[in-house]
Amino acid sequence: MGKDAARAEWDNPMQFVLACVSYAVGLGNVWRFPYLCQMHGGGGFLIPYMLMLVLLGVPLFYMELAIGQKMRLGSIGAWRAISPYLGGVGLASVVTSMYLCLYYNVINAWSFWYLFHSFQSVLPWAECPVNSNLTGHVEECERATPTQYFFYRETLDISGSIEENGGIHMGQALCLLLAWIIVYLFIVKGVKSTGKVVYFTATFPYLVLIIYLIRGVTLHGAINGVKYMFTPKMEQLANPTTWINAATQVFFSLGLGFGSLIAFASYNQYNNNFEKQAIVVSMVNSSTSIFASIVTFSIYGFKATFNYESCLERVRLLLLNTFDLAEDTISLENVNHWIAELNRTQPEQFASLGGRLETCDLEAELDTAVEGTGLAFIVYSEAIKNMPVSQLWSVLYFIMLLLLGMGSMLGNVIAVITPLSDLKFISHYMSTKTLNGLVCLFCLLLGLGFTTRSGNYWFTMFNDYGATFSLLFIVLIEVITVCYIYGIKRFEKDVKDMLGHRLNWYWKIMLAGVSPILLIALFIFYIVNYIQGGTPTYQAWNKELGKSVVTEYPPYAQAFIGLLLASSVCCIPLTALYTYCKKRNLASGKRERTVSTVSA
Amino acid sequence: MEEGCMINSNFLGISLFMRCLRMLVRILVLLYLAGAPALAQTLCQPNASNGCRVRISIKTALGNQAYEWNENEMFLFRATMAFAMRRYYKTETYNVDNIIMCNQTLRVSFWFVVTSPENSTMLIPKADVEKAVRMSRHRINNAFLLTDRTLEFLGIHPTLAAPVNPDTPPWLIVFGVVIGAVFAGIIALLVSSLLQKRRKEKGMMEDGQDEEDRQMKGVENDNVLDGIYNRGFTDDDRFTKL
Repeated sequence: MGKDAARAEWDNPMQFVLACVSYAVGLGNVWRFPYLCQMHGGGGFLIPYMLMLVLLGVPLFYMELAIGQKMRLGSIGAWRAISPYLGGVGLASVVTSMYLCLYYNVINAWSFWYLFHSFQSVLPWAECPVNSNLTGHVEECERATPTQYFFYRETLDISGSIEENGGIHMGQALCLLLAWIIVYLFIVKGVKSTGKVVYFTATFPYLVLIIYLIRGVTLHGAINGVKYMFTPKMEQLANPTTWINAATQVFFSLGLGFGSLIAFASYNQYNNNFEKQAIVVSMVNSSTSIFASIVTFSIYGFKATFNYESCLERVRLLLLNTFDLAEDTISLENVNHWIAELNRTQPEQFASLGGRLETCDLEAELDTAVEGTGLAFIVYSEAIKNMPVSQLWSVLYFIMLLLLGMGSMLGNVIAVITPLSDLKFISHYMSTKTLNGLVCLFCLLLGLGFTTRSGNYWFTMFNDYGATFSLLFIVLIEVITVCYIYGIKRFEKDVKDMLGHRLNWYWKIMLAGVSPILLIALFIFYIVNYIQGGTPTYQAWNKELGKSVVTEYPPYAQAFIGLLLASSVCCIPLTALYTYCKKRNLASGKRERTVSTVSA
Repeated sequence: MEEGCMINSNFLGISLFMRCLRMLVRILVLLYLAGAPALAQTLCQPNASNGCRVRISIKTALGNQAYEWNENEMFLFRATMAFAMRRYYKTETYNVDNIIMCNQTLRVSFWFVVTSPENSTMLIPKADVEKAVRMSRHRINNAFLLTDRTLEFLGIHPTLAAPVNPDTPPWLIVFGVVIGAVFAGIIALLVSSLLQKRRKEKGMMEDGQDEEDRQMKGVENDNVLDGIYNRGFTDDDRFTKL
């Protein structure tokens, strides 16, 4: 067909699979899945996760690939083709992807910053810097830990609250510029360049993960972490939050609803076997999550054991110094025995220790669950600084984070560019290269706002509210549109046309029945949770205390949250209204013309 | 007769006085000798204002090669402290006797005070002792194969290494390398696409028509016809009708 002959294509199906893998396997596999595993009972969490994957994740993934491959257009064009009234779904996807593009690359900028700072003989987050008159360490660093100080003060130069703005952090801005230039380089020639890049971004992180696995399990105390992760706490399965979180994780990990999958699939050959590929990519994504959790938990175990033993050492020294005992009387093993002994024999002097005596608990160390940027940049770098040859491990780790982030970023940017380049008036005026450059430049300029002193708070706001709720709504409308408005029968015919065999009963039941019900349940839960949660809050870094405190968002920030949520969700009803009005004007205009000819 | 008795009684008085004086001196000497250590004891009191507390952790520092802390080591410590005082005051009057130790424990920790060489009852103020220790800290540490943390003088903080501030921060150097490589990549890309375009134009001039156009244009009787897209043959079914 003449019109479609010009559309770019992947060089081979492998590039498409690797692109999907590179997009789906992202930072969430490394920092969100291990956190959820820890929160919801270790090995037991795999049961709701696998169940949700089978009921919700894979069918929706299949559906998006099918739509993209059939329509051969980006999300706006594809949804307009499926149902003109619901073309807003595509627009909402583009808006959400745009928000994601804006803030996601900031994480890559941080990864670059940490990577560049790893090339020093002493890692800058290993020790506190000395203060100006060389008498001690910087106060803020003393109250917090060196890794926290490096992240909050030297990387972000964070202010006390979202209201206190500041200047742009030049180092961050430079790293963000670098990140966007590299993204541009990867997408500049469309799928021709992206197809070659994904060979690297999809496979190299696995190499680093394997190296880290070997290093991780050989660390002292790693086995504590792995044991902790895999001991299932089955009582967590009774908690509905576990199931909700499993569904949400499957959902966001596969990247449904952003339009990236539709965009990737639109560059496929018409008869590509996307059914097999959908299952393969989902399985690869889930197994990567589990694999990454093993690595994360062995590192966790190492860090917890290290902290526990440091605590024991401090207590031992305190006892030795207070009671003036010889050095080899107390060892790390019998510290607790000696505490009881000394309390019994010399109670007054023991009482004089007061609050200085810490309780050392390995379980408590393992229980400190951290997710998100805190895990990646604070907890992990703290574990890395204690490993031998820490510079090498630091470089490897941040290269892996970069590749994961860049791979996901490719999907995000392509989700925005493909529908835009499909629009006639844009493709008429400028080439792909110029459009790509303009989009990258626009996102870079707006993204500089996240490098200001209060930028991290805006980042957290976008992260928490920019894509979560609107995505659920978008995917819900997508499933209902495809199954009931477009019709499951027509969908079946399209799939038979492309693949050559009929739709399996599994897909039919899941898409038409189970997935919509689960999505509606998730949606209701989110709304209820949001209303019950009261005023939205965030964690503000307090430099006097050296820790984060929970602060409420000011009114204008809350209004902005509302704007974020509304701006993508409103696209759907507004576009439907617009199309309806346009059709009505067109119809009435035709009627007028027919009347006039008859009269003439 | 009476004068002889008078002289005799006077003589007796003087000798008695002399005897008493001698005894007093003897008592005083005895007291001094007995009291010197007692005096030292009163000089060296734990928590006294002029005493410094020292804590030594040999096993932590040296592990298997730890030496035992005995009187000889104590002697070495006193000698080192005397050295430190000499170096600080730039005199040669300080001696081992001027360093008095007390309250030694198994931890290996003790107090010491420094007496002035001129007057053994006068103590050197703590601040001066601390300054002397700070000046020779490195030498004192090395005498015992210990560090600032394992040979602790309580009240004197370990000296922190001054931060090394390079002219260009090292991260900027790595950043420069990476961004240079990226710009090189962009330039290579632009140049290659420019070369490709020029090659295509040259190819077009030789053949007379573009590859794509050849597919669209039909040839009839050696006349090149322009193809027009016929909308009647489009497959509209895939677009939902309203």
